[in-house]
Amino acid sequence: MADNDIKIVSFLCNWCSYGAADLAGVSRLEYPADIRVIRIPCSGRMSPKFILSALREGADAVWVSG
Amino acid sequence: MGNLLEHMGIEKDRVHFSWISSAEATKFVDVVKEISKKVRALGPNKKLVKDYN
Amino acid sequence: MNVDLCVGCGACAEKCPGKFDDTYNAGLIKRTAIYVEYPQAVPLKYGINPDVCLKLTKDKCGNCQDVCPANAIDYTQTEETITINAGSIIFSPGFTAFNPSKFDNYNYAGFPNVVTSMEFERILSATGPTMGHVTTFPGLPLKPKKKKDKLLAEKRKDPKKIAWFQCVGSRDINKCDNPYCSSVCCMYAVKEAIIAKEHAGGDLDCSIFYMDMRTPGKDFEKYYQNAKEKHGINFIRSKVHSVTQNPDTNDLDIRYVDEMGQIIDDTYDMIVLSVGLEISEETKDLAQKLGIDLTPGGFCKTGSFEPVTSSRDGIFVSGVFNNPKDIPESVLDASAAASAAGDALSRARDTLTLELEKAKEINVAGERPRIGAFICDCGSNIKGVVDCEAVTQYARTLPYVEFADEAMYACSQDAQNKMVEYIKEKKLNRIVVAACTPKTHEPLFQETLSNAGLNKYLFEMTNIRNHNSWVHKNNPDIATQKAKDLVRMAVAKAALAEPLKEEKIDVNDSVVVIGGGLAGMASAKSLATQGYKTHIIEKKEKLGGEAHKLYKTAQGEDVQTHLDELIKEIEQNENITVHCNTSLESVDGFVGNFKSTLKTNGKELDLEYGVAVLATGAKAFVPDEYEYGKDDRIITSLDLDKMFKENDAGLDAINSAVFIQCVGSRQPDRPYCSRVCCTHSIDNAIELKERKPDMDVFIIYRDIRTYGEKELLYKKARELGVIFFRYDVDQKPEVSIKNDKLLIELIDHVLNQPIQIEADLLTLATAIVPRKDEKLANFFKVPLNDEGFFVEKHAKLGPAEFATDGVFLAGSGHYPKPVNEAITQGRASASRALTLLAKKDNLFTSGVVASADPLKCSECGVCVSICPYSAPGFMTDGRFEGKARVNAVLCKGCGLCVASCRSGALHLRGFDTSQIFSQIFALGEVV
Repeated sequence: MADNDIKIVSFLCNWCSYGAADLAGVSRLEYPADIRVIRIPCSGRMSPKFILSALREGADAVWVSG
Repeated sequence: MGNLLEHMGIEKDRVHFSWISSAEATKFVDVVKEISKKVRALGPNKKLVKDYN
Repeated sequence: MNVDLCVGCGACAEKCPGKFDDTYNAGLIKRTAIYVEYPQAVPLKYGINPDVCLKLTKDKCGNCQDVCPANAIDYTQTEETITINAGSIIFSPGFTAFNPSKFDNYNYAGFPNVVTSMEFERILSATGPTMGHVTTFPGLPLKPKKKKDKLLAEKRKDPKKIAWFQCVGSRDINKCDNPYCSSVCCMYAVKEAIIAKEHAGGDLDCSIFYMDMRTPGKDFEKYYQNAKEKHGINFIRSKVHSVTQNPDTNDLDIRYVDEMGQIIDDTYDMIVLSVGLEISEETKDLAQKLGIDLTPGGFCKTGSFEPVTSSRDGIFVSGVFNNPKDIPESVLDASAAASAAGDALSRARDTLTLELEKAKEINVAGERPRIGAFICDCGSNIKGVVDCEAVTQYARTLPYVEFADEAMYACSQDAQNKMVEYIKEKKLNRIVVAACTPKTHEPLFQETLSNAGLNKYLFEMTNIRNHNSWVHKNNPDIATQKAKDLVRMAVAKAALAEPLKEEKIDVNDSVVVIGGGLAGMASAKSLATQGYKTHIIEKKEKLGGEAHKLYKTAQGEDVQTHLDELIKEIEQNENITVHCNTSLESVDGFVGNFKSTLKTNGKELDLEYGVAVLATGAKAFVPDEYEYGKDDRIITSLDLDKMFKENDAGLDAINSAVFIQCVGSRQPDRPYCSRVCCTHSIDNAIELKERKPDMDVFIIYRDIRTYGEKELLYKKARELGVIFFRYDVDQKPEVSIKNDKLLIELIDHVLNQPIQIEADLLTLATAIVPRKDEKLANFFKVPLNDEGFFVEKHAKLGPAEFATDGVFLAGSGHYPKPVNEAITQGRASASRALTLLAKKDNLFTSGVVASADPLKCSECGVCVSICPYSAPGFMTDGRFEGKARVNAVLCKGCGLCVASCRSGALHLRGFDTSQIFSQIFALGEVV
């Protein structure tokens, strides 16, 4: 696996960080393409199981953002 | 959570938590950049990964 | 612009040569002639400023038409006159910020580091011209091109000292004609100072120069005290006379006189002028055309008992135009105006409603998933970066994908029509759309699914524009790969999507209003006028509450006459049932379906209702200081009102009257401002002076908080000769009775000497204390704050409702308020309740709700205690007694309970654990 192929599974709250990510797009801000967003209804939906599972599935990192 | 993962041999920089409001696009980008930098410094995750073979 | 065609891509603005002041950024930067008002605008549609567009002014250019991928540019559009036949008008024209250019002493126009508070708001904003970075010379471009600008930009620095000057364009008749208080500037200055310190780090020195610190809003006083104590912001009681500029550094030198009379010189890097609110000449002209009366300050004239009704029948007002106010009061005004406008139209309601035809839903249960994937190019917005064709090809290879298609604009009408055809033709039973953000477009596609007969939850959307093509435009290969990953994840999730049912909520359309004071009566009156059976539950033997104790309103209206009229109207209204001497014994149920037992003089009555309004009010604090209770000459504000009402003969014998403010308010055990007492005392002082002009009247205060046009009363009191002395909370005045003389001693701040006043009457302006009704709060599962006031749904945006659905809030139980504000909130609560009641037959839960599997539930109760909306509960009977069950009506679909469930009994439909895992696994497949 090449170094530039990092995958960060990102659990983003629909109301907060997901909106920020939308706005980053509208503002045409550039950032690394490493994140793969999973939209969750609220950061309260998050469970440690998802983090462990993501790492087990080969994610290089997990990011949870409310 | 962080302690458990470290115990399991996962570097703590592989799991990040943050809070960003929907108006904070610049903060979002800053956080992505920072996480990306830290994870790249660690290189690919080899621990815990399911063995497909 | 044809807004129906515009897709908000922004290609036009990139090529537009026209420039004008960006008003959204307070003119700090320029914007192009084709623009969106601000980046978060919904819908995201561009518009052209015809005054600066080169095509429209000089018939040159035309770039935007050349580059627009959606053919949305139309230069031929002209102004249209549209006639609307309306029964009521709500007039909310807002304000303009005061322009301080005419103040030569602050030289806003000449000094680059003197800015207005509106400009500073944008400087602090992450979307502002400096991206939230506080810097001097904020009006200079980030990369200046002109030589003059370049020289100035070299001096640019991160400020170390910033000063705010309060009351610029407010409370001022010398330099401008605005005698009123703008109500909002103290609070926003405190907020700006705190945020500036947060952005700049701890060593930024922030000073606020003020006359009176006016923070009478809910939780505002605590915010102010925190600013002082925790954030280290300096508050200096002084009006700065003038500002000069150091010609080398552009630093600002100021000179002011402190409270002790000392002249102080200081230097600041930046000065923020806290500009007031004004009604523009344009608005005043329009108001004149509409034929509505204005106050001398240019605001709309409204009465305390109909606080959102203008002088012209059928025209209602809200916001700053109806007197300067903050966000929560503006929101309350808006809801109240809606209630008033609705009252007038209640007979015509539902006469113009059209019914929407719905396609019959196809049953897909048990079918193998047949996924249709639609990849949107968004013109060149996505296709310009991502290889959409490759992504579409790739989608076809994914499991369960029956069909995949690329669309130039998936959201366009013809693409939607095609989607319906494909669903029918290919018998698709799950749809994935890879396009922009579900936050704006999910409802549109879901409607398309419904039109095709598919359950709208058989849909998954993934964002390959905002989260991909727009942010990785220099890495097309990686972006294409990311788009494939995202599509694969969405397909995996969609395969597990189940049709979800939106449960119909039955709404009992009668209302219970708890508390028969002004707010409760105002609420009940509006609800009853609009046709809803309303019950008022009053603890006491009659309606009216605390208002019975008041003499006059701040606008001089006699309270008792108006109150009697209102009570009569309530009693005669056939939709209202009044239950006096009544207590609430129990509350069961939830929105639309409440059940209560009432107890009236020992007799019980069961009542079913759909919504409840809590208007339980507050009461006057009984003072425990200043020798209260030891001498008949020491009374409270309400006692003085009683004397006025009864025209007490004792009033004539008074030669010296003293008022002490903040009795029980703004101190550690009660850290809030009671909002009404300054105006009340000043009003009563004026009444005394008018009855007997040679009477000596003193008001001993901490800050005079006559917000809005109440400031004119303060001015009038001073003109009548009322004398004001200020005290500090740690040096309270001392009251003593010596040889039958009533003496008040205090330290005078100007002389720094103790002074003694002999009084015939001492009025204590007592705090307003909440009833702290914990039983009621528990009944309706609504929160109380530390002081015992009810906590509303949202401090700014939901001030007349609770987070608990179907329960609304009005009056001083929310926070102390004068007559007009209590009635406004009463109306506002009615308006909020009406939005729910009006949906009676169309109220559905969301499909995205939690559900519990009783076979797996271990009855641990974590979900019951963790849910902020009280949705999960234990079943009380039947086979699964004791197991958890989630009430879909109360569930907001956050998933907190699902994550907390140890036995895996809880599921969140639409975001189920298996669906989230499927996305994780889908991502894992290629790694």
